[in-house]
Amino acid sequence: MSDELLIEAHGLTKRYGEFVAVDGIDFGVRQGETFGFLGPNGAGKSSTMRMIGAVSPPSGGTLRVFGRDPARDGTAIRARLGVVPQDDNLDLELDVAENLFVYGRFFGLPRDVIRRRADELLEFVQLAERRDAKVDSLSGGMKRRLTIARALVNEPDLMLLDEPTTGLDPQARHALWDRLYRLKQRGVTLVLTTHYMDEAEQLCDRLVIMDRARIVAEGSPRELIERFVEPEVVELRFTSPDGAASRLDGIGKRVEVLPDRIVIGADDGDAALDAVHARGLHPDSSLVRRSTLEDVFLTLTGRSLVD
Amino acid sequence: MASLRRVLAVVVWQAASYRHVWRGSVTVSFLNPVFFLLSIGVLLGRLVDSRHPHLGGLSYLQFVAPALLATTAMQTAASMSTFSVRAGLKWLRTFHAVTATPVSVPELVGGLLAWAGVRVLFSAAVFAAIAAVGGAFTSGFAALAPLAALLCGLAFAAAITAFSSSLDNDQWLAPFFRFVLVPLFLFSGTFFPLSRLPEWIRPVAWATPLWHGVTLCRDVATGRAALLPTAGHVAYLAGLAIVGTALAVRACERRLLS
Repeated sequence: MSDELLIEAHGLTKRYGEFVAVDGIDFGVRQGETFGFLGPNGAGKSSTMRMIGAVSPPSGGTLRVFGRDPARDGTAIRARLGVVPQDDNLDLELDVAENLFVYGRFFGLPRDVIRRRADELLEFVQLAERRDAKVDSLSGGMKRRLTIARALVNEPDLMLLDEPTTGLDPQARHALWDRLYRLKQRGVTLVLTTHYMDEAEQLCDRLVIMDRARIVAEGSPRELIERFVEPEVVELRFTSPDGAASRLDGIGKRVEVLPDRIVIGADDGDAALDAVHARGLHPDSSLVRRSTLEDVFLTLTGRSLVD
Repeated sequence: MASLRRVLAVVVWQAASYRHVWRGSVTVSFLNPVFFLLSIGVLLGRLVDSRHPHLGGLSYLQFVAPALLATTAMQTAASMSTFSVRAGLKWLRTFHAVTATPVSVPELVGGLLAWAGVRVLFSAAVFAAIAAVGGAFTSGFAALAPLAALLCGLAFAAAITAFSSSLDNDQWLAPFFRFVLVPLFLFSGTFFPLSRLPEWIRPVAWATPLWHGVTLCRDVATGRAALLPTAGHVAYLAGLAIVGTALAVRACERRLLS
């Protein structure tokens, strides 16, 4: 990882008419790191990604990608990007290998180079046996992996992944994370958006938390947890929670009442749970766990990430 | 600056897709025109010729065949510029995948229209060859008629792409075929001379692109193209192609680069 900034944004803003999708955000992405935008749906993550991808002109602020202005040098920037959009947009009429071949031509790559890379990439995303299959016949996870292979055909310096695992089953998600982890080890700079805190924790070196068009915190997953929340959390569920919250005063350091559960942040979760029981409260279920980015988001915004 | 190489990459993409789906286009681009040629041009033509042998010295078959070149061009262009444009912009979002690469929107639209031109020219050439074997042409200039059909097809492809990419939803496509393309097909001087229409409605027909396409194809195929009218038809169709392309680029940019 070097200090060279591949992406630099100051006061970056995107408006659609009256609606402000991105409200003056600042961030920088360094060469070689995996950088995440974590936030709920509608936080402005995808709009930010589209501006970085030079397919959406910013409404305000400055943005530099590879030191260039996307509004002026879009073609040159896109030539060095690999884009994995939120919804797969593979060509369903083409077979697996053709999707890569056709895409390579958009980057002006010669035939033999594309053919060689297509073989390697299909191997890499574990689709070599399906190279002549119709895209329509692939599972959701396979389509996602093919989209990633397609985004790699130009050997990009920077990969943009917009919610790469949304809609995938747990097994497919882990398979995908594994491939992204390998790319990261090879030194590819990855920028991803997600509303899954475990995805952000597993993959990101550094991330920003977005809520309502703004960045509310920035740091590594560990830093964010250390800075904003206690190390452990107790989750309590009550059938009739009436009055339970008021009887928790003084337990742990922080009590959040959510529609379906009560969350207590504490240095020692087990001790906090003992204290709950000592007050004669009997939740239907209780769970002691380590704090996650979800808890950071909850503390910062008062809401949970996935509604 | 638009790059010819990237425009060609879009053509390569379209051709690769077509390799898988060409069967679906056989009816519109190749069979239907020949069916019309047989039923209307040959069979109905015999009836017409026996009663009304005054189509400027042409048999009815010779009158209809060049017009069918123009209508085939229109229909091939329409089949390539409606649902597939909606799919690229909205249903499958493949156009979004293209513009995430160095390919720009003008290059994308240029490539789509170039491919439409290739398909129009090919179907026109095949139809002209079949019609020639059937004795539908009397002049050697008929060999140039597919080029006139190409111009007609490009004008329609550009205009219809502009229309399809401007739509906010898909419900207008079916009425467009029923209430725009079918009347054009029937009333643009394809099957009867415009002089058969009431005088007051003729200017409407003169204003439609297919009348210019039909007349241009007919004048070229029969070797009767006079300079001034021909230049007028060419200018009209070329103008429509240029304006349509510009509007299509603008509408696609609004959808792809918001």
